[in-house]
Amino acid sequence: MSLNLFWLQCGGCGGDTWSLFNASSPNVVDFLEAQDINLLWHPSLSVQSPEEHQDIIQRLSEGKERLDILCVEGSVIRGPGGTGMYDDFLGTPKKDLVYALAAQARYIVAVGTCASFGGIGADGEIEATGLQYHKYDIGGFLGEDFVSAIGMPVINIPGCPCHCDVIIGTLSAICRGTPPELGDYNMPLEWYGVMVHQGCTRNEYHEYRVEEKRMGEKGCLFFYLGCHGPLVHGVCNKLLWNGRSSKTRVGVPCFGCTRPDFPQLYPFFETRNIEGIPLELPEGMDRAHYMAYKGMAAAAAPARLKKRKTRI
Amino acid sequence: MSSRKKVIVPLNRVEGDLKIHLEYDGDTIYDAFSAGTMYRGFENIMKDRGPLDGLVITPRICGICSNSHLAAAAKALDMITQCMVPDNATRVRNITLIAEQLQNDVRQHSLLFMVDSTSPAYVSSSFYDEALARYTPLKGRSVVEAIENTKKILEILSILGGQWPHSSFMVPGGVVSVPGANDIVQCKYILRQFRMWYEKQVLGCSCDLWRQVRSRQDLEAWLEASPAHYQSDLGFFLRFGREAGLSRIGKGTENFISYGFLDMPRNTRVQSLGSTGYYMPAGFVSKGSVRQVNQHEIMEDTSHSWFSGHGEELHPYDGMTIPYATGSEGHRYSWGKAPRYDGQPAETGPLAQMLAAQNPLFMDLLNQDGPSAFSRQLARIVRPTLTIPVMDQWLEEIAQTDEPFFTPYGEIRNGQGHGMVEAPRGSLGHWVIIEDGRIKRYQVISPTTWNASPRDSNGQLGPWERALAGTKIRDLKIPVEVDHIVRSFDPCLVCTVHCADLRWEV
Repeated sequence: MSLNLFWLQCGGCGGDTWSLFNASSPNVVDFLEAQDINLLWHPSLSVQSPEEHQDIIQRLSEGKERLDILCVEGSVIRGPGGTGMYDDFLGTPKKDLVYALAAQARYIVAVGTCASFGGIGADGEIEATGLQYHKYDIGGFLGEDFVSAIGMPVINIPGCPCHCDVIIGTLSAICRGTPPELGDYNMPLEWYGVMVHQGCTRNEYHEYRVEEKRMGEKGCLFFYLGCHGPLVHGVCNKLLWNGRSSKTRVGVPCFGCTRPDFPQLYPFFETRNIEGIPLELPEGMDRAHYMAYKGMAAAAAPARLKKRKTRI
Repeated sequence: MSSRKKVIVPLNRVEGDLKIHLEYDGDTIYDAFSAGTMYRGFENIMKDRGPLDGLVITPRICGICSNSHLAAAAKALDMITQCMVPDNATRVRNITLIAEQLQNDVRQHSLLFMVDSTSPAYVSSSFYDEALARYTPLKGRSVVEAIENTKKILEILSILGGQWPHSSFMVPGGVVSVPGANDIVQCKYILRQFRMWYEKQVLGCSCDLWRQVRSRQDLEAWLEASPAHYQSDLGFFLRFGREAGLSRIGKGTENFISYGFLDMPRNTRVQSLGSTGYYMPAGFVSKGSVRQVNQHEIMEDTSHSWFSGHGEELHPYDGMTIPYATGSEGHRYSWGKAPRYDGQPAETGPLAQMLAAQNPLFMDLLNQDGPSAFSRQLARIVRPTLTIPVMDQWLEEIAQTDEPFFTPYGEIRNGQGHGMVEAPRGSLGHWVIIEDGRIKRYQVISPTTWNASPRDSNGQLGPWERALAGTKIRDLKIPVEVDHIVRSFDPCLVCTVHCADLRWEV
C-alpha cells in the first residue's frame, strides 16, 4: 500500500527541497518510486490545480484521507504578536494549517533547522519557532507533550540545509515501518551521533594544533576562524556534499548549522577564546585536560605537517 | 461593467505558494495586483551582527540561488575592505555562479515552466501527447533528465566551494578554497559531460552553431534545419510557443535592468560581450537605448507595501524595513517593496541581460514583437550557450596559473559597500553599512523584488502586473496564460526579501 506524503513549506528558503534534489542513489524520482510514496503535495513539484490542493488539505484535516508522513520545511512564523499573519495561507495564518495537518499525521518530520528549532528568525520579529523545539527548549509550536498519531514526537533532521541522504534515509526508515532511533533533541542517532569534525581532511592539523589564523592558510579552522566541526553533530564529512566535498575540506569553517541555536548571535568566522584556547571545547571535554593535551600536541607537531605542500 | 469580476488565481511550482489577484473585464484582464504575503525579516536579522555575518546568513535567503547572495555579500565586503580580488578568485567565483545558473535555467525550464504545456487547457492541441511524455512531473523524459544532469553540474560548486546550497567560501579579498590541479580537472570533466548533454537534449545543436542564430528568421530556419533541432527541448519549446501564442502575451514594462554578469579577471582570454568590466554588460534598457547603470539611481518605494513610511523613495543605503501590517484595508497590499530605476519600474533576468548586451537575436525579437513570455523564456533556456564556453576557459586559466586565490584584508571597523551581481533571475544587490565593527544597515534588493514589484506612489505598475494587464484569456476556467506570463519571469517567491516570501493576495 502506498504511503501518502504531504510536504508543507513554511518560513524557509526552499533549500531543503533543493538539497533533496542533490540525491544520487537513489535520486528523488527513484526514491519516491522505490518506496511507493504518493506525493499528495509538494509546492515545487505538484501539478494539481489550486482547487485540488485545497480539497486535499480539507480531506486530510478532516481525517477523510490518510496522512502517513507530514514533512515540514521552514519555521512556524508566529509574528506579529502571535497572530502568524507574517505568513498567511488564503487569509488565515499558515501556522493554523501546520496545526491541522500535524493533528492527523502518523509521522511528522521537521526537515532542516528552521522547522526543527526555529533557525533563521527564531530571535527576530517574525517570532519563528520549530515544530517541537524553540532553539534548545522543548515545546516549540506543538508543545512538549505532542505526539503524532503513531505515538512519536516530531522527528528532527536539522541542517541548513539538511543533507539529502538524511532526508531520504529518514523517510525510507519510516516507510519500512522502522522509524529511526532518536537521540538528543529528537534527532536520529544514525546521522546526528557523528560530529562534523569526523572525516574532515584537516583532522591532522587539529590533532597537532596547527592553526589557521587567517583565511586561505592551511590549518585547522577551530582555533581562530570559528569552526564548529568538533562541537556539533552532522554528516557533512561522513557523507560529503554533492557527493564531492564539504565546507571544512575546502577551508570554510563549519557554522554549526545543525545546532539548535543556529544562527548563533555572536559573529561568524571568529572563535571566542580564552588565552588562545576556544571558549567552547569539543563536546564533553574538560578544559584543563584539553589545554594540557593541545599544548603537548602543538609541541609534538611534526615539521612535515607544518610545511605540508598539499593544497589542503 | 456588468461583465467585470475579481478573481484570485493561485499558482504552485514557484518557490512558495503564489496567488495573483486579477480583475477581469469579460475575458480580458484589466488590472492585476501582485502582493507578497510572507515576511521573513532578513534585513533586520542582520542588524548588530558581526561584519562577515552576511556571508553566512544571506545565502539562506534563497535555496536555489544561495551562491548569488554569497557573491553579493562578498562583493559588498570587497568594497568595504578595499581589497583587490586576485584573478583566480574572480575565476572561481564566476565558475560557481555559472554552475548555479546552469542548474537554475534547466530546472526552471523543465521542472517549472514547461509543466504548464501539460495543462488540461491544451488537451486538444497537436503537441499535447508529446508534452505529457516530456513534462509530466517526476515522470516525463525531459524532467527526469533535468533532475539527473543539474545535480551533476552542482558538483563543481562542492569541489570549489564545499557544498551547494548554502556555502560561504567567498570572503572579502577572494575565496578561501585553493583548488588543486586534479580538482580543476574534475570540474572540467563534469562541465564537459553537462555540455554534451545540454547540446544534445536541451539545445539540439552545438553552442557554437546556436550563436549563429541572429534573428527571428534564423530561428525559424534553425527549427526546420534538422530533426535534432526539432526534437530537442528547445525545438519543442519553439513549437509549443508558436501554438500557444507565447510571443503575444506578457509584454511587461519594456524597461530592463542588468547589473552586469561576471566580473572580468584583469588577465583573461575571455572576450567580454560589452565594455563595462563584465562578461555580459550592465545596462538600463528603455525604448531601445542602453544606458549605464548607476546605483545612485536605484530607489525603493513603499507606498503600497506593508512597511511604515510615507511612501517616499529611499536609496538602499538609507532604506528602512519596518513592518507595518495594515491588513487588506487601505492601499498597502504587499510585503515586497517597489524598486525603481530613475523613477521607473524595470524587469530583470536573462532577457534583460541579452538586451543590455545587444544580442542580435533578442534585439530582433524585441523589435518585431516587443518583449513577451516567449522571448523571456527563450533567453533563459539558451543563456548556457554564452556561459558554458567561458566557464571552461576560466577553468583552463586556473589550471595554467599559480596565482593566489585570496588577498588578506585588515580589521573591518567602519565603512559602506554594495555588492551588485546577476543572480539566475536577474539583478541582485546587497547594500551594507558597518559601524564600530557591527552591521548597522543591510538592505537587499532581489531580482524578484524588481519583477514582482507592487505599484509605486506614482501609480506605476510593477513588471508582472503590467505583463498581466490587458491579457486576453482563452478559457477563464483554466487561465494558463497567467501561468505562462508569471513563470516566464522565473519567480522566486522565497527570495523576495525585505524579506517577503511572495505569496499573493490582495
